[in-house]
Amino acid sequence: MRANPSDYEMVAPGSLQAIVSLLAREPGAWLPIAGGTDVMVQYAAGKLPGRKLVSLWNLPELRRIDVTADEIRIGAGCTYTDLRQHALIGRDFPLLAAAARWTGGIANQNRGTLGGNIVNASPAADSLPALLAYEAELILVSVRGERRLPYVTFHTGYKKTLMAQDELLQAVCLPRRFTGYLAHARKVGARNAQAISKVCIAALGRMANGVVEDIRIALGSVAPVPLRLWATEHAVLGKRIDALVLALARTAATGEIHPIDDIRSSAKYRTTVAGNLVVEFLNRLNAESAEVGPVGPNDVLARWNLLPVGQAIIAIQPCCGSSAWAQKMADRRPLSDEAALLAASNETWRSLQRSDWIEAFQSHPRIGESRASEALPTQPPIQPRAAESAAWSAQEQQAVTDADADTKKILADANREYEQRFGRIFIVCATGKSAPEILQILTRRLNNDAEAELQEAAEQQRQITEIRLKKWLQR
Amino acid sequence: MNDFREGPRKVEIAFTVNGEPRKVCAYPMERLLDVLRLELGLTGAKEGCGEGECGSCSVLMNGGLVNSCLVPVLQAADSEIVTIEGLADGETLHVLQQAFLEYGGAQCGICTPGMILAAAHLLQRNHEPTIEEIREGLSGNLCRCTGYSQIVEAVAEAARRGLEQHHDETGATA
Repeated sequence: MRANPSDYEMVAPGSLQAIVSLLAREPGAWLPIAGGTDVMVQYAAGKLPGRKLVSLWNLPELRRIDVTADEIRIGAGCTYTDLRQHALIGRDFPLLAAAARWTGGIANQNRGTLGGNIVNASPAADSLPALLAYEAELILVSVRGERRLPYVTFHTGYKKTLMAQDELLQAVCLPRRFTGYLAHARKVGARNAQAISKVCIAALGRMANGVVEDIRIALGSVAPVPLRLWATEHAVLGKRIDALVLALARTAATGEIHPIDDIRSSAKYRTTVAGNLVVEFLNRLNAESAEVGPVGPNDVLARWNLLPVGQAIIAIQPCCGSSAWAQKMADRRPLSDEAALLAASNETWRSLQRSDWIEAFQSHPRIGESRASEALPTQPPIQPRAAESAAWSAQEQQAVTDADADTKKILADANREYEQRFGRIFIVCATGKSAPEILQILTRRLNNDAEAELQEAAEQQRQITEIRLKKWLQR
Repeated sequence: MNDFREGPRKVEIAFTVNGEPRKVCAYPMERLLDVLRLELGLTGAKEGCGEGECGSCSVLMNGGLVNSCLVPVLQAADSEIVTIEGLADGETLHVLQQAFLEYGGAQCGICTPGMILAAAHLLQRNHEPTIEEIREGLSGNLCRCTGYSQIVEAVAEAARRGLEQHHDETGATA
């Protein structure tokens, strides 16, 4: 039943001192409320346990982020938007930045707070595995003074914590010692936005001499509390990541979680996915992290790794015209070097839908022309960095541009024939190929059936993307 | 400080709504959404889910997009609120409203005020959003009619027009 506002008291004392005094005077009577993204939902459902609320919203003492040489101290009242906008968090604490990005929509990110996420103590909260991975410490405050405790001890059971009734969460401290680690976060939910996780992972790892030198793995939604996977970490520490170790890690992980069946998922599904997420992380660690350092070897790549996702998509889009490809590439960051970038690109390209491939094909100019077709109905209204893509097309097709008029004419006719036959423009990796060579290829491919030709065009596009990615790194 | 042993009582809350200073007398836990609709007669913000999932009650509070169903009115004290009613300039539609009209971005209309405010919030921060950024900016607003494509196209068009206007105003050429 809906709550009646006339039954509820609420005060906004406006200072931390006044709030902890109130909590001390009547321990347990006052429920702190920050941005209300959890409390107001319970209130609307008539499920708030108490009738007295004290507002923490916008309290200056709780909404600051202080950075020292050793740690970053985040006020409990900082919103997800505050976290997303903080440059150091984006750069050095990508697991937390990703969690902030994944929590709710923009309106909830503007109001929901990190402290609220912790104190509300949902095992499905997106930011909590990140805090476990970074070995956060919490500062609790009361009229008795401050105390600092490791976050990993804070949750004692489902929605139970070590916080006393007169205490308030003041700040979250993250040590700045994980910058050289590969950071891996993934959320599995019913949809990308506004979904509560079925399972989520936040993990950090570092390899040295081919073995796992240090590792942190934390999962959400797999136990009554957010869980650090100590046994799984132990199973891989000091080992090479091979098939046997991956199997051991999966067994350890599925052994130390305690997922339940609920409205969002089943225990069986969660167990399988949790194992998959751990294996995915370890595979990526093995593939990428030998070269990952605080600063990558390639400046272009290092800078791109740090960009907000929207800008990262725009930056890499000239290399391949598929927006799904650009999105997935941005999601796979950080990528340590050229080899990792090319491997990620090839894998991503092969995983795309046919419509994504065709979107990429359509972004190219017809061989011998300078601009991509403008008559395409599917063309998005905004073409990021189209100029760069066009400039590269011109370089790639230089030999054709320089060809004699007769060759160009024959090529143009063959192009038209191809378009009539397959309903899209002819794609070939033109770099290094002369006009007669291209004509020969085009003539041969006109004999392909539709499926074979789609696969061949996709392979050509893959090669074009690879060449462009290499150029992109040299800018 | 007040003596709370007498139980909850109404308080006077002053804030600015669509540029005008307003005062209301309300219980502190009344939802901003209800105060806007019932006390101030601003029925543009809609109640959908009532739990922060659908975005149809979106308003701007001090420039930030919020779900007004999750804001106790006491927390809106002294703030600046903008609702859909405050977006048009008299009879001249806001560029987003015009684009939504032209691109079929509104169908039944329940989500539209929230969609437009979420889009306005995005375009204030990002003049040239990509399609993905538009989708992210609107990800907290649910629409059951349009399939979203027309909405995203409307926002992209509004961004383009806004940018042109900006170029015109600054004398820059495209």
